Amino acid sequence: ESGGSTRASVKGDLLDSVDSAVPGAPQVINLLKENGKKVFFVTNNSTKTRKMYVDKLSVLGFNAKEDEVFGTAYCSAMYLKTVCKLEGKVYLIGSNAMREEMEAVGLQQTGVGPDHVLGKQTDWANVPLDPEVKAVVVGFDEHFSYMKLNRAMQYLTQPGCLFVGTNRDTRLPLEGGKAVPGTGCLLQAVETAAQRQAQTVGKPNHFMFDCVASQFGVDPDRCLMVGDRLDTDIMLGSNCGLKTLLTLTGVSTVADAEAHQKSGCAERQGMVPDYYVESIAELLPALQG
Amino acid sequence: MAGAFKGCQKIRGPQIRNLLDAKDFILLDCDGVIWHGEKAITGAAKVVNSLIRHGKNVVFVTNNCTRPRENYVHKFCRLGFTDVILEQIFSSSYCSALYLRDVVKIRGQVFVMGCDGLRRELDEAGIPCVEEADDPDATIYDCALAPDVKAVLVGHDDKMTFLKLAKASCYLRDPDCLFLATDNDPWHPLSSGRILPGSGSLIAALEVSSGRKATVIGKPSRFMFECISSQFSGVDPAQCLMIGDRLETDMLFGSNCGLDTMLTLTGVSQIEKAQEYRNSELTTNHSLVPDYVVDTIADFLPAFEELGEPSN
Repeated sequence: ESGGSTRASVKGDLLDSVDSAVPGAPQVINLLKENGKKVFFVTNNSTKTRKMYVDKLSVLGFNAKEDEVFGTAYCSAMYLKTVCKLEGKVYLIGSNAMREEMEAVGLQQTGVGPDHVLGKQTDWANVPLDPEVKAVVVGFDEHFSYMKLNRAMQYLTQPGCLFVGTNRDTRLPLEGGKAVPGTGCLLQAVETAAQRQAQTVGKPNHFMFDCVASQFGVDPDRCLMVGDRLDTDIMLGSNCGLKTLLTLTGVSTVADAEAHQKSGCAERQGMVPDYYVESIAELLPALQG
Repeated sequence: MAGAFKGCQKIRGPQIRNLLDAKDFILLDCDGVIWHGEKAITGAAKVVNSLIRHGKNVVFVTNNCTRPRENYVHKFCRLGFTDVILEQIFSSSYCSALYLRDVVKIRGQVFVMGCDGLRRELDEAGIPCVEEADDPDATIYDCALAPDVKAVLVGHDDKMTFLKLAKASCYLRDPDCLFLATDNDPWHPLSSGRILPGSGSLIAALEVSSGRKATVIGKPSRFMFECISSQFSGVDPAQCLMIGDRLETDMLFGSNCGLDTMLTLTGVSQIEKAQEYRNSELTTNHSLVPDYVVDTIADFLPAFEELGEPSN
């Protein structure tokens, strides 16, 4: 079809492991664009800035521009700026990428990097708090520690302190059989200590779509959401009234989708895709013909 | 206490005396009940010493897993509780060691996320623990995993790092590896009124990454009562009174074990919360409602004064 836009999810859909593209994926994306489709990359990963993503996508053969990439580092900064209208600093449990995206929209942060525990219990409970901090933001952080958990909790006991998380993914893709805890684990730790729930920015929350739509004038009726996870990608599509396409090169299976469909539970129907393909490469013949 | 659900009964002198006449075993939580940090609650030492001298079996049941029992004995002494001995102390770390040794009869190593106090209790019980490697640059992608890890035990761990969470998550992928928690308290109060993240927050992180639920050793689980009962060659719940300050741990523990419960208001929980649970439509919340309430453990003192000190 002519016109319209397509949104594609990055992890597991276009990239079959951390460092290589799903065979045929770059051609599909590039052909879609040549055919006049708008293509956006939407990912819950918070460890890269938009620029870092474009660099990575380019190396793998994807024709991508910075303003087409929506990761949670960028979207969290946008959320704080445009929705929360935050004035004040952020206590950030997250990556340098998150710090960069925040500074790019004029938000200052404190907390990124290693933070080891020193002193005694009374020192930790009385850890000095920056009075300018008005929000706690939690993303993926390999430097996560008890001290960071403690600081976040102390800030969150203050009235009026906002609480934002990038996403709730439980695990990162397995590396050599190892399980790497996802942002969802870190967020749950902070939520439990603080006895408060965070507002999450990433899929399936509709904010990432709102971000795309507000910048590019997108018509949901003319959108297709392509992803590999039912609980994030497909759910996002359903939440925003988009058509959804599941690719089977990643996390979720057809059996998973059928289980949701047969469950009879209204909430789970949002995780049933409209269509599915084995791989995004199956779109090639339609684009080349 | 079957029958009409009342709960939250505030009691004083003569009523406390009657209650004590009916109970042989007094189970006491520590933080917020008999002391705040390094400061004993006024009158608490006198109450405890009096209970012991009046022939009651007094045991201390605490979820605090940061120190070994020997250290607790010293603390009791320091704060004026002079009659307390090691065998009266039941901490979640001590009971975790008992659980691994006597219930699980663990063969293989335990991966521990916790303080030195917890490790010492495990060492004393002869439980092999994975040694912490000290490589500061190690990441989950290149670190070695210990062989033969048959349990992950999580407690209050101020040295918690992402790497430890990742290692624990890896070990928990084996369904034969147990997932144990000393306790599930989300936060702990300090004497200043400030709080610190508790074991519960680390457990929550691992439950998300592993998709598994931890087996909790400490209150409100029954296991610590089973340890007590086993040490005293059988304890009749009807003869027991559990005194604590936290509804979600102490009162629920008492309820789970069939004990009468008493809330003291010198700690975490407020009377309003107890009343909220009592008025709740969810009957499960009724288990968090104390049978009795006192402002402070010192409210026991008049009960003893009327009896007079017994001759030793």
